[in-house]
Amino acid sequence: MKKYVLQSQKTTPLRLVKPEHFRIDYRRELNEAQYEAVTSTEGPHLIIAGAGTGKTRTIVYRVAYLVECGVKPDTILLLTFTRKAAQEMLRKASLLLDRRCEHVSGGTFHSFANSILRRYAKLVGYETNYTILDQTDAEDVVNLLRTKLKYDAKEKRFPRKETLYDLYSRSVNTLVPLPQLLLNEYPQFLELEEDIQKLYQVYVHYKRQHNLMDYDDLLFNCATLLREHDDVRRVLEERFRYVMVDEYQDTNRIQAEIIKLLSQAHRNIMVVGDDAQCIYSFRGSTIHNILTFPNEYPDCKIIKLEENFRSTQPILNLANAILNRNDILKHSSE
Amino acid sequence: MRMYTKVLFTKKEGGALPQLVAAETENMQSRYVVQKILEFREMGIPLEEIAVLFRSSFHSFDLELELAKANIPFRKYGGFKFIETAHVKDVVAYLRVLENSRDVVSWNRILLLLDGVGPRTAEKVVNDILENRVSLSKEFQEPITTTTKFWMGYNKYPSTIRQLFEMLCTTMVQFRTPAEKVFNIIQYYEPLLKDKYDDFMKRRKDLEIFQNIAERYETIGELLTDITLEPPTNSIVDIESPGHEREFLTLSTVHSAKGLEWRVVFIIYALDGRFPALRAAIREEEMEEERRLMYVACTRAKEHLIITYPMNVYDRDTGVILTKPSRFLEGIDSSLLEPWVVT
Repeated sequence: MKKYVLQSQKTTPLRLVKPEHFRIDYRRELNEAQYEAVTSTEGPHLIIAGAGTGKTRTIVYRVAYLVECGVKPDTILLLTFTRKAAQEMLRKASLLLDRRCEHVSGGTFHSFANSILRRYAKLVGYETNYTILDQTDAEDVVNLLRTKLKYDAKEKRFPRKETLYDLYSRSVNTLVPLPQLLLNEYPQFLELEEDIQKLYQVYVHYKRQHNLMDYDDLLFNCATLLREHDDVRRVLEERFRYVMVDEYQDTNRIQAEIIKLLSQAHRNIMVVGDDAQCIYSFRGSTIHNILTFPNEYPDCKIIKLEENFRSTQPILNLANAILNRNDILKHSSE
Repeated sequence: MRMYTKVLFTKKEGGALPQLVAAETENMQSRYVVQKILEFREMGIPLEEIAVLFRSSFHSFDLELELAKANIPFRKYGGFKFIETAHVKDVVAYLRVLENSRDVVSWNRILLLLDGVGPRTAEKVVNDILENRVSLSKEFQEPITTTTKFWMGYNKYPSTIRQLFEMLCTTMVQFRTPAEKVFNIIQYYEPLLKDKYDDFMKRRKDLEIFQNIAERYETIGELLTDITLEPPTNSIVDIESPGHEREFLTLSTVHSAKGLEWRVVFIIYALDGRFPALRAAIREEEMEEERRLMYVACTRAKEHLIITYPMNVYDRDTGVILTKPSRFLEGIDSSLLEPWVVT
């Protein structure tokens, strides 16, 4: 069958509503940097939001601003670290503007991936009625297979299910190979490496066979779907015209890939975060994402929020010093 | 790869200088924090507006005891409460049966830790204890030989149970102070710990802390009372019950404190070797993440920031005595961070 590919529609810059008709006085309620971030709508943006600089406020106002500009709320996608964070922001935006903001698509990467896979799972080898395994479920499955393979009856004690699942998940998220992880975290199990690998293969196979996805699979399969199925990707690009990501410094490599694929055509992507607050690498997040964003999007606009509304100046001076000494040290070692 | 340079500023005027407070010991650090918290409360800052942050969950164990003594209610985020961690519970269970040989709950706990002991065997042993066929306290009054003879009639039990009783006997008879007793118990318990938990290295640290705490007590009874924090005025249940509109202090790991703010923030154990954690061949990226963690901790404070460290802590893993403040704070000018000593 021949394919006819429709061209992706260019987003027209939003000038539907004149500023004097805005219901919210953005100039008055935001400082200079926040205002710039809120009113930048088209193209890639990196917002570096220092601690206590009104990051949440900025995101909330930007959602309201887009809606006021006439963007259909459900074409805005807001991805956050927790579901609560998204709900909270959209609730605030609704209070600020009106109930239209409730229709913005908000949630975590996992819930977003799930909503897509429920439709397209067949394309990545799953049924759409797959079961999601939470961490305990996933551990139980690992345990079941561990017993099936009789690893629990071996002379040398085999790692517990929690340990195994942690190893597998971390390996997927950080791209660190299992043997390396074993060496770093559980050297006492190094000699069992082969069995641990084998069990992993069986676990992966078992999940597919029984139509099960753990949390990592949701992200992984979503990325695969977007990467390998242009037609689906284009549909989704049309659907979500404005992508916003909160806590970008805490995203992992698969999450970065998902949003990159998702905004390939319109490139209306705004990521918000603080490289100085990246503290979750043990969960697979990587500071790399936020630091290399300008390389991925050379035309991106970087806006820094530096006015702090939380602390006194002496506290900020100390905080600045703790980071800046970092710069000095780095220079001297380069 | 460079970080984005940014300089945080505020339009707010004034404010107290952050302090770096050196305390001689861990316990002095805890007592200092308790006293300061009470002072801030006197100044009209409610407990809700005060937080104590730390790098790792076990850093607050000693403080938790002091807070309980001072009747300061608190909630802890990130990690478990000291007494709720399984391995600390295990050690406490040994001490409890020494104090009260009829403590069935604790007996069950320590019996089930043993190889070859399931619920049924445990029940049998517990029944023997309850029906005085085995009476620990009586046995301890008599020479060890009697004990040995006693055991000859109980060969049907797994040998691990016998070893447990022997250990309890020696602990009772041969060691006098709580610290010595705890030491002996931990010696016995460590192989079990290793067998039971894959992350025993981390958990061993908690037991070290427990050992330090035991050193301050004259009797096991007092130690157990303080550690279980059960007096009617300050029960754990009260502090924990949801929806209870009571004022409480926040204890939190830095990770769990992300995005939050308080008028007063203490950062305890800002000791090089604890924050950052001391580990052989730690990679540079990891060290930078530790630095960011310190940054996150500091930027939680609105008005007062007090960073403390104990000056004399023995690190069992390396055999090194830790004495210096966190490397992220060392060398910072006293016009930015005011040095203090607790005496």
